[in-house]
Amino acid sequence: MALRVPVNLRQNLSVVLYAFQALSIGAVVVGLASLLLLPLDEYSRRTYISENALLPGQVHAYFGGSEQNIVRAFRREVESLGNSTSNVVAERIAEIFRSANLKVGTQRYSYKAAGGSYTGENVYAVLHAPRGDATEAIVLCAPWKNIDHILNEGGVALTLALSRYFKRWSLWSKDIIFVISSDARAGPQAWVDAYHDLHGPNVQSLSVKSGAIQGVVVVDYPGGRFESLHIMYDGINGQLPNLDLINTAVQISRDQMGLRTDLQEMWDHKDTYNHRLKTMLRGMVNQALGHSTGPHSSFIPYHIDAITLATHGEGWHDEGSLGRTVESVFRSLNNLLEHFHQSFFFYLLMAPKRFVSIGTYLPSAMLVAVGLTLTAIRLWVDPRSRSKVEVEEVVVKTDEKKGEKSEGGKVVVDTVIDSGPKRQLFLPLSIVIGAHFCGVIPFAVFNWIDYKSMANVFYIFIVVSVAFPTLLSGLITLTTSENRLLPTFHLARCFSLLFLGMFLSTLATVNFSLSFLIGLFSLPLMFARPTPTSVPLALLNSILLQLTSPFAALFIVAGYWGLGVEDILKEASFGWWVWGMWTPVIVWCVWWPAWVVGRISVDASFVMSVTRKGRS
Amino acid sequence: MTSFSPRSLQWLPFSPKSLISRLFTTITLFLCLAGSTFADTYDENLLLQPLSGQFLLASFNFKSHGPIQSFNKQLFELFPRSLGQILQYTHTRELHLRFALGRWDSELWGAQPGDGQNAGGTGVELWAWVEAENDIEAEARWTSLNNALSGLFCASLNFIDSTRTIRPVMSFSPTGDFPHMNKTDLFLLHGTLPKEPVCTENLTPFLKLLPCKGKSGISTLLDGHKLFDASFQSMSIDVRPICSPINGHCDIEIQQNIDMVLDISRSLQRKDSPVPRPRDQHELVCDTTKSYASDEYCYPLDNSFDLPWSLSDLFGRSIAGSCPFAVKEPQTPHVCIAAPHDRQVHPTEGTEIFASQDGKQCFILRENQIFDIALPKQEPPTTPLRQEPLLYAERSFTGHGQEHGGVKTVLRNPSLKDSIEVVYLESLPWFMKPYLHTLNARLLPPPLDGDGDVISELYYRPALDRKRGTQLEAKLVIPANSVVIVTYDFEKAVLRYTEYPPDANRGFDVASAIITIPPHRRGSDRRNVPATSIRTTSLLLSLPTPDFSMPYNVIIFTSTIMALAFGSIINLLIRRFVAVDEVQRMDIKGKIMGLIGKVKKTKAE
Repeated sequence: MALRVPVNLRQNLSVVLYAFQALSIGAVVVGLASLLLLPLDEYSRRTYISENALLPGQVHAYFGGSEQNIVRAFRREVESLGNSTSNVVAERIAEIFRSANLKVGTQRYSYKAAGGSYTGENVYAVLHAPRGDATEAIVLCAPWKNIDHILNEGGVALTLALSRYFKRWSLWSKDIIFVISSDARAGPQAWVDAYHDLHGPNVQSLSVKSGAIQGVVVVDYPGGRFESLHIMYDGINGQLPNLDLINTAVQISRDQMGLRTDLQEMWDHKDTYNHRLKTMLRGMVNQALGHSTGPHSSFIPYHIDAITLATHGEGWHDEGSLGRTVESVFRSLNNLLEHFHQSFFFYLLMAPKRFVSIGTYLPSAMLVAVGLTLTAIRLWVDPRSRSKVEVEEVVVKTDEKKGEKSEGGKVVVDTVIDSGPKRQLFLPLSIVIGAHFCGVIPFAVFNWIDYKSMANVFYIFIVVSVAFPTLLSGLITLTTSENRLLPTFHLARCFSLLFLGMFLSTLATVNFSLSFLIGLFSLPLMFARPTPTSVPLALLNSILLQLTSPFAALFIVAGYWGLGVEDILKEASFGWWVWGMWTPVIVWCVWWPAWVVGRISVDASFVMSVTRKGRS
Repeated sequence: MTSFSPRSLQWLPFSPKSLISRLFTTITLFLCLAGSTFADTYDENLLLQPLSGQFLLASFNFKSHGPIQSFNKQLFELFPRSLGQILQYTHTRELHLRFALGRWDSELWGAQPGDGQNAGGTGVELWAWVEAENDIEAEARWTSLNNALSGLFCASLNFIDSTRTIRPVMSFSPTGDFPHMNKTDLFLLHGTLPKEPVCTENLTPFLKLLPCKGKSGISTLLDGHKLFDASFQSMSIDVRPICSPINGHCDIEIQQNIDMVLDISRSLQRKDSPVPRPRDQHELVCDTTKSYASDEYCYPLDNSFDLPWSLSDLFGRSIAGSCPFAVKEPQTPHVCIAAPHDRQVHPTEGTEIFASQDGKQCFILRENQIFDIALPKQEPPTTPLRQEPLLYAERSFTGHGQEHGGVKTVLRNPSLKDSIEVVYLESLPWFMKPYLHTLNARLLPPPLDGDGDVISELYYRPALDRKRGTQLEAKLVIPANSVVIVTYDFEKAVLRYTEYPPDANRGFDVASAIITIPPHRRGSDRRNVPATSIRTTSLLLSLPTPDFSMPYNVIIFTSTIMALAFGSIINLLIRRFVAVDEVQRMDIKGKIMGLIGKVKKTKAE
């Protein structure tokens, strides 16, 4: 039986359309507003330790005293190796580990990305848990050079000293692996890939292994005395470690050691609304970019919970405080009976002790995505999606049919399922699908070209991608018959928005921030329609679209970090080849095509106004 | 020996009661010895061997023999009655039981003591030859053996059910003699419990099986706190029949072994303080040749000397004289130490030193005379003896995720000349389903003639869901100085929620792979090498696990809501609503009238 729209509603379809429009705009507004509400006390929660086995800060940490003399000596050793090549470093570090009776392994790796080569040699040592059975392990990692390419003197020295200190304890239930990675970005990735035997041919296999890794703590301590601990937790592709690990570190360093903890480079967090919002937004930017924020990031895709403890500022805390913090965190990790699972994996932190969980924040990204989907549905329902000439024909036909039925006086099953004029789907669908296929081109180009030519290629690409939709819309306008012209653009927008909306709502469950930010930037697409009657409106739309294009976003990100666009592209290429980062795929194959389709619709207005087509 | 010397009284901090019982034992023993009615013989021996990296291996061996005829008649002398009756009831002819904790570090310590024959995989391992007419009977006897041993040793041996039992084909062969028995009547069954935590509750029944029960002799050193602080420890019980090839007389032999590897520095430090606080500055051994060496900077020097230790330091007590059953003529040594030649060894004064054999120094214990060995600090350090193992084996998981995984075993033959034949045995739980087609043995370096086929024989018994596990046995030949990497992929099954153990969900342990090297001849002198076995570490398999607390929360919530809704709806449905004035007033008169009416009604009927 055919579904029939009630006659009064069909006649007054504009009511439905307005309702849809109001709903979609309302959804977006509510979505944005609810994000801004999150930092309020009523919507966020205080953090708490969910896994009772952790018992953070319940043990006395003893590291200090004469152990600090050893740290200082190792620091001198590290200093003297500062400018050596990575194999010399690995050899010397391996020697120090070996003298402490640990099982030592080294691993060479080499990656190629954006025309650059990233090579190094990791060195690591396994402390067998006394009485342990090699089924579980925890990792203490210190990159030789930290994420800012500064020699991690203190971190490496502390790791070396802790390896000797931990050896003397009987209580370890898990093996402890000490990793000195050659750098902070490629080294840990090579190591963790090889640990799971999922490495490429240019990465050496590990000669010594232990059990399943349950937790990772990275020490980033390049300076001397420090003021506070900066906890970094973002993983590749916006994955996060279990909140319990962060809570443990925060509780131990703040409550047990009296060390201030910072998140997301908020050095002066007053726990006000502004500061909370800022922390949350910075976290969202990092999550959306999905890049590595430290050596810990590489572990997280393997479902290994990891954080980096980085020192910051100048204060009175020394290697003893940091050593005791690490010791206490390890004692907590050692208590774990199960893999981290109790607490949240999806959360936004807004202060060291305040967070929102997925249940609270997810609606905002979902509502933005729903706004796009609702717009797509509205465009489908809109009679303007149907071609005009056929409208009349079909109307006549149905009228005739109806007449026949009533004359016959019989109840006949209506054979016209979708009554009304037909939608012409071929051209709009080809536009949308074609645009999405074209997304592979920038993705491939930016992943294969050299760093040196990246900036130039990028500017060429901007020019191409500004000109290409205009040319395409011109071509379509000139070749398509007048009555089918506007419905074509209309349906193209409909499909594009539908796809974007559905994709973003799926993405929101995995990487909330990326979904939200793309949704935010895609909002003008909701209004980007061909306006052949008003060129100024089209101009406004066009400018708005340019301002919210993926390129603009790239420039914004570059500006945010004070880097060149080519550096961002290089990072993206590196991320794709080394970390398996999906952000470039989403930007080029989902967002960029949607933007291109929007541009085609808007630019059609100029062509139409020139050719005076479709103005009736 | 009839009277206690004043000196021995000093070390007897016993209550009068225990003193009397001791006296009683001694007298009984005397009577026994005088009558020389003992047909059983008993030996005990402790071998101490310093290992590299400041470790000490202590191997305890307790062995007793007795004629099998008296055993069959239930005339137990030194053979533990509790165990003997179980073996007879279940028709077990040969029994091997292993408890192990920690791992043997063959890189550092070399070959395992006793060719690895006394060591088991992590947890508990049991294999036995059971006499039965058919497979079903064997299975039933095996189950009752497990249940009985479970009670005897306070271990969860009763959990060795059909899913954990395998019947190895190539890996094990009987060590006892069965001249009068039809070999087809003997069934070999093997089971493992890799998750079983071995602890003091298993040690106590183990010691109770000994004739001296840990009260005298070398077993006095076996204190749970020290034993289970060891870096590696293994307890084993082997029962087998031994027949003399000359006169055909058969004996039943029970051997109990304990191998433990102590970390000398950790044990010594535990004596001073249970917490390894940072050392005092003056205790640190620093490298003074460093340019920055000062009070503030200390580059630590390790292994610059051999740590001084004595038995009482490491074990918390010294040996309280010999076990009376182990005193024999001709004398056999009780305690031997295989220290390097240049290491000084000081036994307690007055100890009889037995003629040293093959580099070992041996001592005989005297009854009621404390025995201790002290090794002083030695600078520069000595190099302990290390025997190169025949094979290095390491096994690990590959891949990650909840669905698939892989296992990679690296077998390395360190010998430069001799190739080696090994049997690799895996016993996998049913929820870990290997793909046999992915089984691959790769030889490194690759062979020159391109024949990379290292697996010569393969025995595979596939798993049946919830009924039995996978058994995979492969015979491999590893050429000299090369590495064989055995890999295979597997799929993880999804368990029913009741199949998860009720404990914290740490994951599922996968038993150690057992690598057996059959007896063979090697080297240019074709010397005999006895059967050797090596076990890899166990693995931790994580299966997709629901968050169990979540369904419970949901169940509780929904049940509450359903109860509330159901209660109020049924209340509404079955209740008749009437207006207040419609309700009949029921006073006493009305009630009586009603009763009368009823009575009348019944009468009328």
